[in-house]
Amino acid sequence: MALILLDGLTKRYGSVIALDGLSLAIEPGIVGLVGSNGAGKSTLIKILLGLVDATSGRASVFDLDVRTRGTDIRQFVGYMPEHDALPPDASATDVVSHLAEISGLPAAAARERTAEVLRHVGLYEERYRAIGGYSSGMKQRVKLAQALVHDPRLLLLDEPTNGLDPAGRDEMLDLVRRTGTEFGMTVVVASHLLGEIERVCDFLVAIEAGRLLRAAPLGEFTERTGVLSVEVEERAGDLAAALVAHGLDARAVSPRSVLIALDDERAYDAVRDVVADLGLPLVRLEQRRHRLEDLFRDEPDRETAA
Amino acid sequence: MTGGETASPGAAGQGIGGSIYDLGYRGYAGPRLGRRHAIRALLVQTLRVAYGVGRGGRAKLAPVILGGLATIPAIIGVGVVALARQAGMPPNLEDASPVRHDTYYGLITTLVVLFCAAQVPEILGRDQRHQLLSLYFSRALRREDYALARVAGIILAILVFVLLPQAIIFLGLVLSASDIGAEFGREARLLGPILGQAVVLSVLLGSLSAVVAAFTPRRVYATTAIIVVLAVTPIVGSVLVGLGVTDLARLAVLLSPADILEATNAKLFGTTSSNDLLRAADLPGELYLVGAAVISVVAIALLVRRFRTIAA
Repeated sequence: MALILLDGLTKRYGSVIALDGLSLAIEPGIVGLVGSNGAGKSTLIKILLGLVDATSGRASVFDLDVRTRGTDIRQFVGYMPEHDALPPDASATDVVSHLAEISGLPAAAARERTAEVLRHVGLYEERYRAIGGYSSGMKQRVKLAQALVHDPRLLLLDEPTNGLDPAGRDEMLDLVRRTGTEFGMTVVVASHLLGEIERVCDFLVAIEAGRLLRAAPLGEFTERTGVLSVEVEERAGDLAAALVAHGLDARAVSPRSVLIALDDERAYDAVRDVVADLGLPLVRLEQRRHRLEDLFRDEPDRETAA
Repeated sequence: MTGGETASPGAAGQGIGGSIYDLGYRGYAGPRLGRRHAIRALLVQTLRVAYGVGRGGRAKLAPVILGGLATIPAIIGVGVVALARQAGMPPNLEDASPVRHDTYYGLITTLVVLFCAAQVPEILGRDQRHQLLSLYFSRALRREDYALARVAGIILAILVFVLLPQAIIFLGLVLSASDIGAEFGREARLLGPILGQAVVLSVLLGSLSAVVAAFTPRRVYATTAIIVVLAVTPIVGSVLVGLGVTDLARLAVLLSPADILEATNAKLFGTTSSNDLLRAADLPGELYLVGAAVISVVAIALLVRRFRTIAA
């Protein structure tokens, strides 16, 4: 049974269409929701939470209709919003334990769970200090903690790495990954950065302008977009020619680098053999993925072909 | 995770999916009490914010100073009566004292207005300013629940504010009397009006300041707007009543919360108000009670509507 089921979900803000007849089933797991800014990711999450009403179509979570069973659903859903959502004058402990009670936990359990989730997200002594003095990384952790405190079955994270530096991003993504795998929780991570999402997710949902581009396991996405980039010190042209002779789709993009369409593992063996035969100094061998924009640019052809 | 010091007591950790070194995450299998618990928790938290409980000294400044100002006259008044009684003064002295159950609400109305102006924006504006509403509305709580729990908490906070001095007067007079039983009987007859007026006052001022604060998230504006609505509209009312000869103009007194409260106070305690405006309006006392109820219901309905439609 799908955890989240969307059927012709449409949301209009005046003349702007945020979601355009979205139909989709999301199974348990770690699910990435990708799309550029304004694609409708936040709107979708808010509809699932009952924060926003859909214009038409249906959405259900845990097999319950989001329109009519909002409080029953939300008891088991955690939400980390994209924007700042914390009062600067209160401590992390106060905010999280209060919100745990609002989620229905008894006071004593709320305090216990607060201590536990704040530890899980990596906040220790500073959890008693006012949030106003926190770094953005710490604030993001508190936002994640409040989403986890009532042990939800479904976690909806809207741009969890927003405003973080590269190290903070890595830590947050690691935390999201661990939360999904260790806790056995279904996590939906919305992001406009495909590179981040593919590091944590098993399943990917790509939307653009409120329409579904593709929903598939992560492997299928990377297969499709897989490109092997080979950098050598010299004679990239010779390398490309030799690879083509091996039946690969290769082309030199500069005197020192070759791009190869990566259909299967065979390409790696061919590169190894050819580089050895030609005696070329190999600098780097890297599987490149298309950037998100490339993925989206390719899509319309695919749609019409299908 | 930084190893050992994070080990929590109870040592039940090895349970779900954790390794020996990392106690790991434990699920929550306890009760989920749902909406009713959420509403109660929100109401209690509203009361705590109103009085700055569990927060820094600055948060306590306004409620403590205003609460003190509202309570000290009661303590002094009761003290004077007690001393006079010990000195053998006539027993009807307390009727001459300005510190009486029926006069005290009028005495502290301005302080209640200031308390609302200082604390209600703190309670309702904060959640909007810091976008906390999306964290509330994404939990096992309805938007209406949020609005009603907040306004109920505000009303309770005002009830505490106005009933504390009344309780001091009550206990002070009873305990300082030579015949405690007789004095208690005399005082107990006033319990109805004391509680009734406290409820009317708290609901009217609480719901009005809540609806004003809900529409003005910026703190400064909300504070100003509350003072304008609660303290400046009387001037408009009095001008209209002063000008008016028609019945409709006389009803303009119902625009003024402070005058409504003075009239309901007089009605409930069975006294006559010396307020010129009320005498000019010359309306039956029941009408003020109805007016207070209608205004409160409309204010609370607007408040609920506001939070039903607000973006979160």
